[in-house]
Amino acid sequence: MGLNGKAGEVFKSIPYILQGLEVTLKVTILALIIGAALGLILALMRVYGGGFCSRISVFYSRIIRSLPLIVILFGLYYLGADILDLSAYTAVILALSVHTAAYQSEIFRGAIQSISIGQMEAALALGMSKFQCIFSIILPQALRRAIPYWSNEAAIVLKDSSLAYVLGIAELLRRGEYVSARTTMPLLTYTIVGVIYFILTFVLSRGLFFVERKLSIPE
Amino acid sequence: MVEPILRIENLYKNFGDVEVLKGVSLTVEEGEVVVIIGPSGTGKSTLLRCINYLTVPDSGDIYFEGRKIEYKQDNLSIVRQKIGMVFQEFNLFNHLTALQNVAIGPSKVKKINKTKALELAEKELLRVGLQDKADHYPAELSGGQKQRVAIARALAMDPKILLFDEPTSALDPELTGEVLMVMKDLALDGMTMMVVSHEMGFAREVSDKIIFLEGGVVSEMGSPEKIFNNPDKERTLEFVSKITRLGPIDSSRGGSDI
Ligand SMILES: Nc1ncnc2c1ncn2[C@@H]1O[C@H](COP(=O)(O)OP(=O)(O)OP(=O)(O)O)[C@@H](O)[C@H]1O
Ligand SMILES: [Mg+2]
Repeated sequence: MGLNGKAGEVFKSIPYILQGLEVTLKVTILALIIGAALGLILALMRVYGGGFCSRISVFYSRIIRSLPLIVILFGLYYLGADILDLSAYTAVILALSVHTAAYQSEIFRGAIQSISIGQMEAALALGMSKFQCIFSIILPQALRRAIPYWSNEAAIVLKDSSLAYVLGIAELLRRGEYVSARTTMPLLTYTIVGVIYFILTFVLSRGLFFVERKLSIPE
Repeated sequence: MVEPILRIENLYKNFGDVEVLKGVSLTVEEGEVVVIIGPSGTGKSTLLRCINYLTVPDSGDIYFEGRKIEYKQDNLSIVRQKIGMVFQEFNLFNHLTALQNVAIGPSKVKKINKTKALELAEKELLRVGLQDKADHYPAELSGGQKQRVAIARALAMDPKILLFDEPTSALDPELTGEVLMVMKDLALDGMTMMVVSHEMGFAREVSDKIIFLEGGVVSEMGSPEKIFNNPDKERTLEFVSKITRLGPIDSSRGGSDI
């Protein structure tokens, strides 16, 4: 009865855990959007930017990818807290964005470079500007190719958003931790949290797979 | 005297240590069909690509419609709009249907409104006999059909001259005919064309002038009769008979009437 009671407590706490969903999703989605924008700019700088821009992009990507996410997070939070007065919430979003941007830039770069040079040449030969070539011809093809890899990165960002718990943000994992402590049922609690992450990741990748199929062109 | 539509003077191009073009000079008159032949690696593609500045020449001048192209100052887009190019590998835009491939130039570059651009594209597809493939993506077309769409795409810009870089050499032999047919029709319509090709049947039948490019210079230039039957240089004769023997179309009859 006692055990059942404790397990019951955990199950009754599921709605409480799920309240963390909003934060988790907000952090994930914002980080993905900012990261995609920044990643795309970095990729364009790398491929088309010429010497200086290209080197900045490479440098950024190397540095960020060599740092553990948690270091970026603490760095932004403690450094940022002094100078910029960042809230924990903003720090998490920024850290995730900065981090995923480096990985996304590599995804976009690879996709852009996989488009044959002939596509650009044919567009230039018609009289298009470089800008038009990139945005009307190269990116529509490259971004389609990037979707499966981007989808993988999106799942990583979703899971990485759980790191927000170290700054005390009450997202899914943090709430799980509270429940686990209160009920002394860590295994069951974390299993439930795990299942929630699984479902989110599953829905996310299915959704993106659907988008990929919807946008696919005959190859 | 009428100004030639294209005049190339003393064109040089190196790639690193490799000297490719070493002083090429030639002219193309309006309405003329010029076929360029020459051994592999001799700079035929490079020459064509210099004309629309996909490759930037090291020195030499290119006059188009009587005006010198100034690479640094000119708006290259305006020059390129008037110089159509057809590539060996077609280079159709893979994410666009045949119709959209043809329409995108007029709509993005000339800023013609979308509906008009699509109407124009339909007309150009009709011209190459592919109106029924309008909604097909490049991957759904045969090589010959792709190349015809690529020609329609170039035509949609209403160019003054069309450059063809080995338009049939990526095609299965049985598909070259349909592309050559379209090109022949264009020639009959009076289109000015510069064609790198070893299709000797086409050269003999359609061209006004054949240029033999070798060693980075124009080695010999003349009417098809002259180049095929009594060229000035022994080497020209040797090259012409070699490609005529190997050529996909003329292999049966080519050798005999040289
Ligand atoms: N972008 C480039 N960078 C370096 N070398 C190049 C480049 N483009 C062409 N070349 C070299 O220039 C030479 C001429 O090449 P080009 O493609 O113009 O020859 P081609 O006459 O068209 O030959 P083919 O009949 O094989 O098409 C070759 O030796 C080639 O390797
Ligand atoms: Mg070539």
